[in-house]
Amino acid sequence: MSHFIQVLVDGLSNGAIYAALALAIVLVYRSTGLINFAQGGMAVLATFAAYALVRAGTPVVLALLVAIACGFVLGGLLERGVMRRFEGGDPDTAVVATIALLVLLTGISALFFGYEPHPFPSLFPNRTLQLGGVFISLRSIGTIAVLLVVMVALQVLFRATKLGLALRAVADNPNSSALSGLPVSRLLMIGWGLAAALGAIAGVLVAPQLFISPGMLDFILVYALAAAILGGLDSPVGAVVAALFIGVIENLAGAYVDFIGDDLKIAVPFIAVVVILVVRPQGLFGRKVTVRV
Amino acid sequence: MTKLLESRWVRLGALAAVVVVLVVFPLVSTPYSNYQLSLIAVFAVALLGLNVVMGYTGQVSLGQSAFLGLGAYIAAYGVLHGWPLLLSLVLCALIPAVVGMLVALAAARLRGLALAMITIALPIVGVPLARRFDGFTGGSQGQVVTFLEAPGWSGLADDQWRAYVVLVIAGIAFALVRNLVRGRIGRAFGIVKENEAVALSMGVSPYRTKVLAFTIASLLGGVSGFMYLAVVQYTSPETLTFATSINLVAAMVIGGSASIVGTALGALYYVLVPVLAGQVNSSRTALISGVILLAVLFVLPAGLASLPRRLARLTTSGRRRSGTTAGSQAPDDAASRAAAPSGAPTE
Repeated sequence: MSHFIQVLVDGLSNGAIYAALALAIVLVYRSTGLINFAQGGMAVLATFAAYALVRAGTPVVLALLVAIACGFVLGGLLERGVMRRFEGGDPDTAVVATIALLVLLTGISALFFGYEPHPFPSLFPNRTLQLGGVFISLRSIGTIAVLLVVMVALQVLFRATKLGLALRAVADNPNSSALSGLPVSRLLMIGWGLAAALGAIAGVLVAPQLFISPGMLDFILVYALAAAILGGLDSPVGAVVAALFIGVIENLAGAYVDFIGDDLKIAVPFIAVVVILVVRPQGLFGRKVTVRV
Repeated sequence: MTKLLESRWVRLGALAAVVVVLVVFPLVSTPYSNYQLSLIAVFAVALLGLNVVMGYTGQVSLGQSAFLGLGAYIAAYGVLHGWPLLLSLVLCALIPAVVGMLVALAAARLRGLALAMITIALPIVGVPLARRFDGFTGGSQGQVVTFLEAPGWSGLADDQWRAYVVLVIAGIAFALVRNLVRGRIGRAFGIVKENEAVALSMGVSPYRTKVLAFTIASLLGGVSGFMYLAVVQYTSPETLTFATSINLVAAMVIGGSASIVGTALGALYYVLVPVLAGQVNSSRTALISGVILLAVLFVLPAGLASLPRRLARLTTSGRRRSGTTAGSQAPDDAASRAAAPSGAPTE
């Protein structure tokens, strides 16, 4: 039983990382209707900013805050400088533009820090808590806690502030928003900035575990994509629930089904996602879209 | 200029020139260049399949690399067990086609991103499966197989013979697909991409059309896997990674979606840009590739295939601004502009 809880908590903490990136993907999708493959690349670059500071002797918490700020600026600049040209055009071209950004950002990270992985200090003390015979690492608990805080903050932003209302309005209908006097282009920049800031949080949280390198988040991005699509792309809550589900089911299958083991465990959540989507194409929490002719 | 490009004879002449170059090139160039040329042919066929499902039919597919890998593994198994080469090739086409059809039977009910997700799952699940079933695949180390040596009567080196074989296969695939997308089925693809409701009202089943497009795409993916093994003589789980699929999608859009010429240009891009970037500076390949990719998208959002048309339009509008032949050029230009935005497959 204690082993089970440990596996569960580890799964939740992996899921929390996927959730942070999935939230970023949902944020961009809701404001621009794009799947942003560059999300991982932006996050890694912001995390490298934190890495540079940590190496210079800054405390990790301060470095995290700087990484978030860097991510925000980077996201806004990329939206304004690059993606603006592809918005409203052919969606395939726009998605490939984000792939181009991913390649480019990976190249920039490698330019400064090389391809080899570097160790990154953890935000949380490297200790385990013992709760009634169950050993749980502080890192897992910390990751989950940070995710919860981020989720609440996002919810407050979108539901209780004027900025959030404006962001939702632009996502819903950019033309009407512009006619009502909202600064649509600036709001789109803010949307991308927020998404990149979220990615930076995910990057700093996962870097101690994976070691920081330009391709660090490539694989996690795939999980996050799966979570975002499974949750129904327009639902932040759905993305988080789906991400936690994917993290937990992967760990459980790896730990308890002998045939699956550590190497095949990645297949389990993806097969589950495929089955769920075939039954429920709009995702777990998505709205069903009716096509009008 | 526009008229010149659309003339039948110019097109035939260009095709003949390309064929002559492709016949002569392997005879006069180094084994390394022949290897690159063969790789271009390999990925041109994989891109051709991707273009059928994504460019012509408008269904996002992020799983093309899985079929390429499957084809390569089947070919490797066939060679190691001494099957006749032709049988291997046929199975490399048939088995991925059947797998693709089974996936599509479930997936074609979905659209947009749900569909993208199911296709993402193919390479993601495929890689660990390939590692696990090492009796069939050789596991993580992969398999080295040697086949398709040049027969003695030809007097060719192995690399030349292999280049000719893959070029012939690619040529046949391109000719078949060109005829397919120009005919009744191609029109069905186009209308399903444009509007499924309209397709239905015209008696075209969107579901069946999508399943057909996926089946053709996976068949071509499998064939390109056979060609890949013939050229590279090695396959491993790396062949089918998700990153390959993503790069294939990028190459397809760069070349020009829903365009036969664009497919070939996309393959050129896919193989040559990393090589060129690596030659400029081997540790900056990603940086340079990313810059080139973005630059092409900025200048030519419709892909490299739109370059001649774009140039033609620039020269016509330039001439009109100078005011010399305004009257005679205007109708021509208007016609080409009216033809361009309609989603029908033009090339």
